[in-house]
Amino acid sequence: MLAARCALGLASGAVLLSGANPAAAQQKDLADLSIEELGNIQVTSVTKRPERLQDAPASIFVITGEDIRRAGVTSLAEALRLAPNLQVARVTSSTYAISARGFNNAIANKLLVMIDGRTVYSPIFSGTFWDAQNVLLEDVERIEVIDGPGGALWGANAVNGVINVITRSARSNREGVLFSAAGGNRESDAAMRVAGPVGEDGAARGYVMGFHRSGTQTVGGTSALDAFGRQQAGFRADWGRTESNFTLQGDTYSGESVSIPALGPVTVAGSNVLGRWNRQFADGSSFRLQAYLDHTERDDPVQFRDQMDIYDIEFQHGFRLGTQHSVLWGAGYRYAMDRTLVSLLVRFIPADRDLKWANVFVQDEWSLARSLTLTLGAKVETNVYTGAEFLPSVRLAWKIADDQLLWSALSRAIRAPARVDREFFFPGNPVLPPNPVGPFIINGGPNFVSEVSNVGELGYRAQIAKVASVSLTAFHTVHDKLRSGEPAPAQVQNGASGYTNGVEGWGTYQASRDWRLMIGFSELRQHLKAAPGDPAGTSAQGNDPEHQQMLRSLFNLTERHELDFIVRHVSALPNPVVPAYTAVDARFGWKARPDLELSLVGQNLFDAAHVEFGAAPGASEIPRAWLLKAVWRPDR
Amino acid sequence: MNALTLRACVLLLAAAAAVAAPRPARADAQADEYRVKAAFLYKFGAYVEWPDRAFAQADSPVLIGVIGADALADELSQIVAGRSVNGRPVSVRKLRAGDPIAGLHVLFIGRADGAHLGEVLAAAKGRPLLTVTESERALELGSVINFVLVEDKVRFDIALTPADLGSLKISARLLAVARKVVKPS
Repeated sequence: MLAARCALGLASGAVLLSGANPAAAQQKDLADLSIEELGNIQVTSVTKRPERLQDAPASIFVITGEDIRRAGVTSLAEALRLAPNLQVARVTSSTYAISARGFNNAIANKLLVMIDGRTVYSPIFSGTFWDAQNVLLEDVERIEVIDGPGGALWGANAVNGVINVITRSARSNREGVLFSAAGGNRESDAAMRVAGPVGEDGAARGYVMGFHRSGTQTVGGTSALDAFGRQQAGFRADWGRTESNFTLQGDTYSGESVSIPALGPVTVAGSNVLGRWNRQFADGSSFRLQAYLDHTERDDPVQFRDQMDIYDIEFQHGFRLGTQHSVLWGAGYRYAMDRTLVSLLVRFIPADRDLKWANVFVQDEWSLARSLTLTLGAKVETNVYTGAEFLPSVRLAWKIADDQLLWSALSRAIRAPARVDREFFFPGNPVLPPNPVGPFIINGGPNFVSEVSNVGELGYRAQIAKVASVSLTAFHTVHDKLRSGEPAPAQVQNGASGYTNGVEGWGTYQASRDWRLMIGFSELRQHLKAAPGDPAGTSAQGNDPEHQQMLRSLFNLTERHELDFIVRHVSALPNPVVPAYTAVDARFGWKARPDLELSLVGQNLFDAAHVEFGAAPGASEIPRAWLLKAVWRPDR
Repeated sequence: MNALTLRACVLLLAAAAAVAAPRPARADAQADEYRVKAAFLYKFGAYVEWPDRAFAQADSPVLIGVIGADALADELSQIVAGRSVNGRPVSVRKLRAGDPIAGLHVLFIGRADGAHLGEVLAAAKGRPLLTVTESERALELGSVINFVLVEDKVRFDIALTPADLGSLKISARLLAVARKVVKPS
C-alpha cells in the first residue's frame, strides 16, 4: 500500500486526465510521447497509470534494476550510492550511515525506508539497521529515492527523504531460474531464484541468497572486528487480474558479524510476511489493502539488543472528483511489541514496551488549469509518546512545456520520538554502589517531544532534445526541537535547532546509441545551534559533506560487452574530521551466452583504502575491492 | 545459518520449485503492455517511408491490420481517431490469420496467433508492408520489427532485410531507438 501511495503521489500532476473520459485522455498522452519516451514506460506500474517521473512535483531520483546491474553492486546499501541525492557512507563491513539532506550517522533517523510497502526503519531509534536489510538485486524493479519531506503521504519520519524499494512482480520473472555467484578479495556472494506461473492467472518466485564480507582494518591498524555474513530466503506470489489482484510475499534472514571477542558476535535475524490486495474499478477509482507482520531480532552486546514484532495494516482509496480533482485518502494502524535486553552501553527503561501508531491522510490533486496542478495533502498520525501530529504539505506544479516542469512545495514534517529518545539509559550497567542500578549518565528523555522541520522546495526538471534530461532542486529547511544532550546526569532534550540550505541535481545525456552519461551533485550548508551546555555540541546531529559529486558512464562496447565507470567525490566531513575522498568504480560486463552474463567489478580502484565515516583511530578503512560475478539464467 | 533459517530456506525453495514448471504465457494483465505497444504502432508510421505504389492516392489512408491482439486493436483505434500519419488518415482493421493482407501498410501479429506467424510473415514477404511482431525468433521468420520486454519496458528490434525486400525505408531515428538492428548479411 505504501508503494501505491508513492506511485500515486508520483503521479501528482503527471498525466493530466481530462476527467470526462480518463481512458481516452491516457490514450492521447501515450500517443503524444516520443518513441524514446515510450520505451521508458514501465508496463507494470503499481497504479496501472503510465507515470512520467518528468511530471512529479518532488525531488525524485529513480535507480532502475538495469542501473543496479550495470553498477555491479551486491547489496541494497551499495545500490543506494547510485542516487546522487543520498549520502551513503560505509561505516564498517556491515554497517552504513545513509541519509538525505544531511543529519547522517550510523543512527540517522530522518529517512523513511520501505521495501515493497513495508516500513523497515526500527522504532527503537527511527532509523534503519542496514545490516538487516537486503533484497535480491536481480529482482528489484526500481528504487525511488525521494528527497525532502514526504510526511503528508508517508507520515512521521519522512523528514529528509523516502527510499522506496520496489521488487518486480513475480509475473515479470520471465526468465525463470537464476543462479548468481560472485567472489572477490573482499566478499563472496551466491543466490538462486526460481520463478514461474501458478495456475491460470498467477506467478510465484522463491529465492535464497547469502554472502560473506571480510572485516576491515581501522586507521590505527587493528582489526575493526566487523567481518559479516548473512543469509536470506524469500518468496513473492502475484495473482489475479488487472481489476483485482493480490500479492503475497515474505522473507527470512539471519546474519552474524564478528564483534569484541569477549562479548560475542552481533547477530541479526528476522522474518516478515506481507499481503496486498489491489482493486480497480471501471470508473478509474481504485483501492488497496495491505497488511504485514514483521519480526526482527538484534543482539548487539555493545549497543541494541531487542526483539520486535510489528503488525501493520493500511488502506487507501483513490478516485476522481469532477473533472479537476484526483483524490487519494487512506488510513493505517501499526502495533509494535518491543522486548529489549541490557547491553554494554544501552538499557531501556522500561525494558519492554508496546508502541502504537494510527494515521489517516488525504491528498487532492487539483488541476487548476491544463498546465497547473496544485496538490494539497495532510496526514494526522498518532504515537504513544506525543499523541496526534499534523503533517501538511502544499505542492504546485507548472508544466511550462511538455518537457519542462517547474514545481515548488511547502511541507511540515516531524520526527516523532523513538524509544531511544524517551527510554534510553546509558551506560547499560553502571555499577556505582550503593545503587542497585545506576547512576546513569543519560536518564531517558521523559520530556522529549517531536522534532519539527518546515521545508520549502523549488525544483525544475526538463527533457532536452530527447537525449538529455536534467533535474535541479533547491531547499531550505528550518529545524526546531532537534534532539540534544546536557551535562551528566542528563536527560534527552529538544534543545538544538537551526536551518539547512541545499541544492541537489542530476542530469543524463545519451551521447550516442551506445553511450550514456550521468552526472549528479548535492550541496549542503548546515547552520545548526547546539543546546546550551550540550557536551556533544552539534556533532550529535550528524556529520555531513558540504559537496558531493558523481559521474557515471555506461558504454556498450559491442552488443555483448559493456564498460561502465562511476566516479564519486565526497568532500570532508567536519566533526569528527573525515578527509575528502574520490572513489572510482569500474565494471566490465560480458554476455558470454544469451543465458550467461559475466562481469568484473573493481571498486575504489585508485585508492588502497579510505575512511567514509567515523573518527580515527577506530574508524574502518574501506579498501579497494574487486569482484568477479556470474549470472546464469538457464531458461533464457 | 541457523537451523530454523535453513529449514525455512529449504521449504521455500521446494515450494517455489514445485510451482516453477514452465507453462504458456497468460493472456491477461497485458492491457497496459498493449496500450504502450499500440502507441508504438501508431508512432512507427512516422518513421517509415513506403514506396509510392503502396498508396492508391495522395490522400489514401494508412491501413493498420492487427492479427491475434484484439485488445491492442481497440486501443489503437482510439489512438488514431482524428490523428494522421505523414498527413494521411489512419484506419485500423482486426484480422484473422488467412485474411487477405493486400493493401495493408502495417501488420501487427500478436503472440496469441503465434501458430500462424510463419505463414503470415511468408505471405507478407516482398510486400511494402511493415510487419510488427512480439514473438521470439520472429525476425528470423521475416518480421521487420519485433517487440521485446526489457526490464518491464517495451523495446523493439528491427531487421533491415525484410524492410529492403518490401522497399520500406526506415528512418535513422527509429533505428537509433531500437534495441538491436539486424543488418543484411
